[in-house]
Amino acid sequence: MKVPLSWLLDFVDVSHLSVDDLIDVMSLNGLEVEEVHAPGRGTLGVRTKRVVSWGPHPDADKLRVVTVTDGTEQIELVCGASNFDTGDIVAHAEVGATIPAQGGAGEPFELEARELRGVVSNGMLCSARELQLGDDHSGIMVLPPDTPLGVSLTQVLPVGEPVIEVAVLADRGDHHCILGLAREVAAILGIAHRVPQPAWSDDPSDVQVDIAGAAGGCAHFVTRVVEDVTVGPSPWWLRQRLIQCGIRPINNVVDVTNLVMLELGQPLHAFDLDTVHGRRVEVRWALEGETLVTLDGAERALLGSDLIIADADRIVSLAGVMGGADTEVAAGTTTVLLEGAIWDPGTIRRTSRRLNLISEASLRFERRVDPAGARRAVTRAAELLVELAGGTLGGVAEDGAPGGPGEPVEVDAAWVARFLGLDDLPPDAQADYLRRLGCEVDVRGAGLTVTPPSWRGDLVRPADIAEEVARLYGLDNVPSTLPPVLTRGGLSVAQKAERRVREAALAGGFHEVRTWPFVGRATLQAVVPTDGRVGLENPLAQDAATMTPSLVEALLQVVRRNVGQQRPGVAIFELARIFRPAGDPVEESLKGFGDGWIWRDPEGRSLPTQPRTLGLAAQGLRLGEGWLDEGETWSVYDLLAVFDEVVRRLAPPDDPSWTLERLAVERDGMHPGRTAALHVRGVEIGLVGQLHPNEADARDLPEPVVVGELLLEPLLGHLEVSPEPIQARPLTRHAAMTIDVALQAPVTVPFAELRTAIREGAGELLDEHWVFDEYRGEQLGEGQRSIAVRLRLQSPDRQLTDEDAEQVIQAIAERAGELGATLRR
Amino acid sequence: MSEKTTTAVDRVRTEALGAMEQARTLDELDQVRVRFTGRKSELAGIQKSMGSLDPEQRKQVGQAVNGLRQEFDAAFEARHDALARAVLGERLEAERLDLSLPPRRVRPGRPHLITQVLDEIVDAFIGLGYSVADGPEAEAGAYNFDMMNIPADHPARQEMDTIYVSTDDDVVLRTHTSPVQARVMTTQTPPIAVVVPGRVFRADSVDATHSPVFHQVEGLLIDEGVTLADLRGTLLAMAQALFGPDREIRLRPSMFPFTEPSVETDVSCGFCARDGAACRACSGTGWIEILGAGMVDPDVLDACGIDHQRYSGFAFGVGAERVAMLRHGVRDTRDLYEGDARFLARF
Repeated sequence: MKVPLSWLLDFVDVSHLSVDDLIDVMSLNGLEVEEVHAPGRGTLGVRTKRVVSWGPHPDADKLRVVTVTDGTEQIELVCGASNFDTGDIVAHAEVGATIPAQGGAGEPFELEARELRGVVSNGMLCSARELQLGDDHSGIMVLPPDTPLGVSLTQVLPVGEPVIEVAVLADRGDHHCILGLAREVAAILGIAHRVPQPAWSDDPSDVQVDIAGAAGGCAHFVTRVVEDVTVGPSPWWLRQRLIQCGIRPINNVVDVTNLVMLELGQPLHAFDLDTVHGRRVEVRWALEGETLVTLDGAERALLGSDLIIADADRIVSLAGVMGGADTEVAAGTTTVLLEGAIWDPGTIRRTSRRLNLISEASLRFERRVDPAGARRAVTRAAELLVELAGGTLGGVAEDGAPGGPGEPVEVDAAWVARFLGLDDLPPDAQADYLRRLGCEVDVRGAGLTVTPPSWRGDLVRPADIAEEVARLYGLDNVPSTLPPVLTRGGLSVAQKAERRVREAALAGGFHEVRTWPFVGRATLQAVVPTDGRVGLENPLAQDAATMTPSLVEALLQVVRRNVGQQRPGVAIFELARIFRPAGDPVEESLKGFGDGWIWRDPEGRSLPTQPRTLGLAAQGLRLGEGWLDEGETWSVYDLLAVFDEVVRRLAPPDDPSWTLERLAVERDGMHPGRTAALHVRGVEIGLVGQLHPNEADARDLPEPVVVGELLLEPLLGHLEVSPEPIQARPLTRHAAMTIDVALQAPVTVPFAELRTAIREGAGELLDEHWVFDEYRGEQLGEGQRSIAVRLRLQSPDRQLTDEDAEQVIQAIAERAGELGATLRR
Repeated sequence: MSEKTTTAVDRVRTEALGAMEQARTLDELDQVRVRFTGRKSELAGIQKSMGSLDPEQRKQVGQAVNGLRQEFDAAFEARHDALARAVLGERLEAERLDLSLPPRRVRPGRPHLITQVLDEIVDAFIGLGYSVADGPEAEAGAYNFDMMNIPADHPARQEMDTIYVSTDDDVVLRTHTSPVQARVMTTQTPPIAVVVPGRVFRADSVDATHSPVFHQVEGLLIDEGVTLADLRGTLLAMAQALFGPDREIRLRPSMFPFTEPSVETDVSCGFCARDGAACRACSGTGWIEILGAGMVDPDVLDACGIDHQRYSGFAFGVGAERVAMLRHGVRDTRDLYEGDARFLARF
């Protein structure tokens, strides 16, 4: 809601406050000031003049040479407009005057005497647009004949005054008008404000009004006839106020209805009564299939949930939203039927949303107008039409009844004080605040009976009353206390573990990123790929129409942006949710690990499956273009190192079933020889791999590009179920022994199996082991490889001997043999 | 014979000491030792032949040989030390590094700025006895709206620019972290003190200060006798934890469907002199809006099965992006999501 300062001052005297102070008062007390505009700012030295004479420019067809006067002095100038004549009062920007910056921005424009084709022009005559009083640039402003001569235009019209734009809160429909905002400012400051009380007339008109067919939709319907009006342009003061408030002037009749709406908050409609058939208006619910051509020329298909106004034969208005084209007030209109009604907010909101038709009227009706305000607004508009359009007052016709004050709310003043954290706020003081807002208050001890005024439909519960008391008491006067510590608090085991996951990725050299989880249909996936998608009904873009089923797609886009920055290499990770439809195959990987990953709605229905995963991606040089370790690139092993560490930190320490197994797999978009599914306890919980050269090429990414993804829910879920602290192991003091073994096996035998042979063979003596070589060659034969492993053996109770070593080697050889592997000495 | 032998010893001395001087490496020096004092050396031969000498001569020759051995050992020792020193010196010289050059750049990664902000807010509240709650991002409309007192035709629902997953199933991308309030209140009994860090979604067009994906930390405290002053004190504690102990806060009336009273919270500007001059952060007003808060609406308590006659509470929601922008001078939210490594490595 835009509030011209002069208009506000008509209703509440805040002239003792500077504009800045007024804005502070408003914004600190519930009237959030969004912006202050000042259309016409910079207008200085523009004076009212009368045209003494004019003639054609000797050397230009489209220009006139004009002489104007302020009553004493005559000045000659050149003007391009032709909408004026001798005797007209015009706005003259004199030499040395300034007018607002043209085009909206910058410093005001200063006028100089200027020669135009041989004639010196001493200033210019201003159009409305030049003074930011409207869009009209077809001619200059012609002011009313009774305008005083030789005075500054700003004395006639408040050109350049501040217009304060207030963001109206959703539950304060009463703030959508000057009166409402003035009332609020007055309540905040504890001063009086003016309430217009035009005299209501009971003279009946011959118009029939019937709202019986609008049960539940219309509470009060008020009309008044104004006869003998002359439709024409509104006076400048009225046009200026509409322009300041962002409404385009149309003609005096329509402008008056808009002015009253802005002033009192009650939207009005003006019918050309001569086009209303049968001098009858009926308000009813529409019938499905009925149509109406609205003022904007569009044909609207109606439903039974829409309210309409009809005459004897047809629909003439879409109630509370927009009038019909057939009964529009136009140039020849002489008899006007003014209408003001109280509509059901929800009905107007639904119709307006459905038709995507939001008008100044619907905006107000859907936020609730004062149910007692229709008569006042109609009367005020009728009086203005008499004054501004030469009309004569006709009779009234109405149906329904004005609304009254709200239901009384019983409030315990002691509770209010406690609720706000105040030691004491006497009931009388609270009652005083509430009365300022227009409430009627009965005080009985600490008990308050608060009857809200008709325009405050939002005051229905004690908490609502407490808010009003707090607001007028001043939120800044509320003390600051810290509540006592109520609960043990802290992070859960799984929440702590989530931080450990991040640490593992960071320690591996990966930067954390946060991406948007929206992707198109075609997307690279990592863990448990699926065709299932969680789609969006109103996506931001067509290539972002589904929720991402895997983090790697977005990570690769981040990699691409960094490649675009000519970075030699990049490594990133993200810890976020992925999205799959309920029942997706990924649930097979989650089922055995608690149910913390299942989310349901209040009725117990499953929401989309949205487990947390850790996604990794790296590309190019691992150490940048450093002079040490030149050319070292990121590899799948770097990702595996992170995932291994995550599992080692989160999984039970001595349970081999939690070892992250790697199974070679072939997946879309991935290098067939460099991709492995990661399993624990027999289910896939992750994937690592290098992008297929074609995939990398298609994404314009220099190789190598490696990606990986690990489901975290199994690890975190397990921790929630059995958060057992890790137990220490005694540190062996006896010297350790190191032995090397080489196991030859077909490449199809995963190392995990060979490791099992080593673990079982070495038994309790095994302290650690490392792979230190992998060899493939002709001697081994096709499809064979030899893996060399160094074992560190140690016994808690004795010094190991060569005999122990020999036994271990024999045992490993036996186990390896069972797997089809042989031990090479 | 003994004359001749003594002369031989002298000759060996001269040759041995000379050879030792000639030795350039420890290996050569060792060869000299073997050549002149080993089992097959001339000196060994002389000692062997001593048995055939008479006692007097044997004594003379023995003294000469022993003298030579002592002399040889001393000289060997000295030469060995000198050579060993030289070898070590050469090695140290050869191992000289130019430490003015940059080191290997294996750096750990950096947590995302938003993660750091979220953790910092969460940790501040953990210090006040709060625990951390979580909820889904694809959320039931019932939690996101209805239980938060935003019925279907409420204007606030339109203003939230919701991204819908399924209107039929009433699933949305949560527009705020508040639905977790409902999840907590329907499953726990007071006292309740939780914070909810999380990602939220709006169908917003992207610009320097708007992103369709952003992060909030929701706070919720419910118990008997919780007051507006408790809210104010808690918000002050958070503002000071995030922005510095000298900051103040200011509450302004506002409207949220799930709180009553509702307040917007401003923190005093720390970026300017607060003298009305142009300031990028506060536009010269001295105050910066950081979050919305309020006392939990009695209807929300009722909808979540908590007796509003007995319990009261407060809730707040702070935007992590806004805090990051204010505290770290981030000018464009897009920088937070593009993943440019220069940005990531900065924080």
